[in-house]
Amino acid sequence: MLKQLIFIVIFIITIAVFGYTVNRLIKFFSFTRPAFPVKDFRKRFGLVMRVAFGQTKIFRRPVIGFLHALVFWGFCVIIFGSIEMVIDGLSGAEKSLRFLGPVYDVLMAAGDVFALLVGISIVIFTIRRSLLNVRRFSGEEMKPKSHIDAIVSLSLILLLMVSLILMNTGYLGFQRLSAGEIYGIYPVSTIVSDLFSGFSASQFHGLYEVSWWVHILTIFFFANYLPYSKHFHVFMSLPNVFLSRLDPPGKLDNMESITREVRMMLNPDTAFAQAPADAVPERFGVKDVVDVTWKNYFDSLSCTECGRCTSVCPANLTGKKLSPRKVMMNLRARMKEIGPLMVKNGKDYTDNRSLLRDYISEEELWACTTCNACVQECPVNINQPSLIVDMRRYLVLEEGAAPVELKSVFSNIENNGAPWQYPPEDRLNWTKNLEFEIPVFSELPAGKKPEYLFWVGCAGAFDDRYKKVVRAFAVILNRLNVSWAVLGKEETCTGDPARRAGNEMLFQMQAMQVIEILKNYDIKKIITTCPHCFNTFRNEYPDLGGNFEVINYLQFIERSIAEGRLKVNREKMKGVKITFHDPCYLGRANNIYSEPRDIAKAISAGFTEMKRNRSFALCCGAGGSQMFKEAEKGTREIFIERTGEALETGADIIATACPFCMTMITDGLKYANREEDVRNLDIAELVAEAMEIQ
Amino acid sequence: MNIVVCISNVPDTTTRIKFSEGNASIDTSGIQWVINPWDELSLARALELRDDPASGVKKVTVAHAGPASSEPTIRKALAIGADDAIRVNCNPSDAYYTAGQLAAAIGKEGFDVIICGIESSDFNGSAVGGMISEFIGIPSVSSVSGLNIDTGVPVITREIDGGRESVKVPVPFVAIVQKGIAKEPRIASMRGIMTARTKPIKVHEPVDYDSLTEISGFEKPAPRAACKFIDADDPAKLIELLQNEAKVI
Repeated sequence: MLKQLIFIVIFIITIAVFGYTVNRLIKFFSFTRPAFPVKDFRKRFGLVMRVAFGQTKIFRRPVIGFLHALVFWGFCVIIFGSIEMVIDGLSGAEKSLRFLGPVYDVLMAAGDVFALLVGISIVIFTIRRSLLNVRRFSGEEMKPKSHIDAIVSLSLILLLMVSLILMNTGYLGFQRLSAGEIYGIYPVSTIVSDLFSGFSASQFHGLYEVSWWVHILTIFFFANYLPYSKHFHVFMSLPNVFLSRLDPPGKLDNMESITREVRMMLNPDTAFAQAPADAVPERFGVKDVVDVTWKNYFDSLSCTECGRCTSVCPANLTGKKLSPRKVMMNLRARMKEIGPLMVKNGKDYTDNRSLLRDYISEEELWACTTCNACVQECPVNINQPSLIVDMRRYLVLEEGAAPVELKSVFSNIENNGAPWQYPPEDRLNWTKNLEFEIPVFSELPAGKKPEYLFWVGCAGAFDDRYKKVVRAFAVILNRLNVSWAVLGKEETCTGDPARRAGNEMLFQMQAMQVIEILKNYDIKKIITTCPHCFNTFRNEYPDLGGNFEVINYLQFIERSIAEGRLKVNREKMKGVKITFHDPCYLGRANNIYSEPRDIAKAISAGFTEMKRNRSFALCCGAGGSQMFKEAEKGTREIFIERTGEALETGADIIATACPFCMTMITDGLKYANREEDVRNLDIAELVAEAMEIQ
Repeated sequence: MNIVVCISNVPDTTTRIKFSEGNASIDTSGIQWVINPWDELSLARALELRDDPASGVKKVTVAHAGPASSEPTIRKALAIGADDAIRVNCNPSDAYYTAGQLAAAIGKEGFDVIICGIESSDFNGSAVGGMISEFIGIPSVSSVSGLNIDTGVPVITREIDGGRESVKVPVPFVAIVQKGIAKEPRIASMRGIMTARTKPIKVHEPVDYDSLTEISGFEKPAPRAACKFIDADDPAKLIELLQNEAKVI
């Protein structure tokens, strides 16, 4: 009875403290902005089954991933025992779930076995963390506090597991010696209890009681420690996976406030009118915690600082300041700093500090290539780049602050419709000296409607090296006898570089202009070579009313080969070793992995993979508008790193499928002094070569 | 202290210029108009000064002589951060006429510093700035590469051969500035774009001035001839071409 009373008091205290924490967090969440509406429950349920219960992303690192999976699954099972202990404690009963019968046996047996497995995993984790020098456990953001926090959490879990096994051992020994009935099966504890052969019934009972209390008190303490620790992910990661952003990772969210503004400007009736007061947001982009969405904050609370994101970040790998993990940790820390003050003094309270600059520097933000490697890797589906871009948006839209090269890119896109300074008149220069006429929409006879628009892109029109790629693809299109045309001088930048550099206004101006041109010609299907244009058309234009069927040229070529319409000569590149560098905006952003490989394999038997390939591929360093600016300060260049990985394969040809990747890899070959013996070709050029028609 | 920046509306630098009316005027169809790059930098510097409380500059105005069709360029300047604008409603035909119109309009408003880009990237006349100072009857300093204002006192730097010159000048004056005046042009922030829509543009009707010059014709430079490649093992061919085709040896 006394035990029951003590338990009830402790339980109420636990719940009260936890309630206080939850209440505090709810208040913090109330300071954030809305994000996407949570719909598609079926999809979300599937995601939870795969990513959370299936631990699919954890398994991207198979060995250590397996150990984590054991811990996770162990927790899932052991929790039933914990619930039972609470019921027992409150009711004064013992083994109150035993009415479950065989199910109870299975639950108890699994819990008992998992307690051992989890315990072993935790010991390995602790040794690994404290003795082995794991790179991702270090970094600027990993202060001693983070390590202490980790060790405390690991120790508490170990204590939970040890106390659980000892509790079961005590239970078994006592029941055996006092001839009581044993409910549940305990394979591990049965063996352990043999070690305590000299124990009397009362000693076993004492062991049971002590372990029981240690276990349940540790749980109560742990539950209230977690929300103030990095290990809060024990509570948050499952809901975070459920609440995942379901959009493709390559898609950036549309800023509705900008859309309203652009529409007003484009409408002559409202162009010079004052914007309605309710249409103007307090701030464009993210400067501080009040500008982030609830999902950003949820992400930050789900982060357990495992560093998988940072360990694959091309910027971080090459010594730049950016660390996606730090961005999440900073958001959490900033809310911890200002949140309580805002609770006290109201949301408008300011301490003259902000997430941007006081926690996250501009240099960090401008180092991101938006390659989405961090997103791909995060075991709990955190989205770091969207927050990074939102902070860039603040810098550009509110302060007009951006690296000087990007300011020129903005001016160029605005003035001449391309990130580089070339006039639209020159957009068809790549077609010179082709043996056939390139059909141009504006010059077609009335009533003629080609099936496809071939979107050449600014690189196709103006980059001397990449012009050869679009020529090769035009040759393929011409050979295939499909009905297609280009926009020529009417083409203009899709706005992608502006959007990724934070200039949402310019992006939307460009996008609306492009959508109008395409609608004027009643264009339904678009083929692109540039993955950045592809991603923008496919994932981002629908938000602005541009719904088209968007096809990447690799999909188009692959289908043509598979269906036998396009014949390639395997003899032509016999014995040539080809490797393929995955562009981030085809691979991770849009899940196009097999097509380039199928094409390369159709051409040559010598296809070889780089160590990091497909969704593991390292960015070339040019994404997220990095193409147009100097890299932020670091120890190495990303393109040198990636080219080095490609050269390690011993390939004769490094195949690419993106104009920016091509520039970077070609530069990398020059840097490595290998441009004589290794060629950097686009997949379209490979195909055109194998067609024997160049 | 108030600054006025004179801005010229010029074709974007990538424009392929075409002529019309028997090569006597520029075909403006399809041209993207921008703020003259020198003026854009002047504006950037003027705004830096205004944003620095120590300078004492309170307001930056842009002034432009041109038809209503150049208003988007003026709005751009307002979006970048100018406080208001003056437009003289005219079709300028030469530097004398342009300077006269600007001087008349600016003179009425009362400014402390008038900044002009050293030239405009369309006609490159390099004359308007000096003429404005003459019309108003105030000093002017040309080839200015640095303009500082310390609580109302202007300090001017000029790049001269082999060194730098500091110049003191009483206000009001005209500063005719070179590209080094600001590090980089400013871009318009979103708030800037939004507020620019309702910032005032004061329109003046032109005063009576003649154009003293008239453009009689334009012609384009001859297109560059294609580059000829000669086999490195054939120096005789090089000599032959240099002698007979290029006629330089």
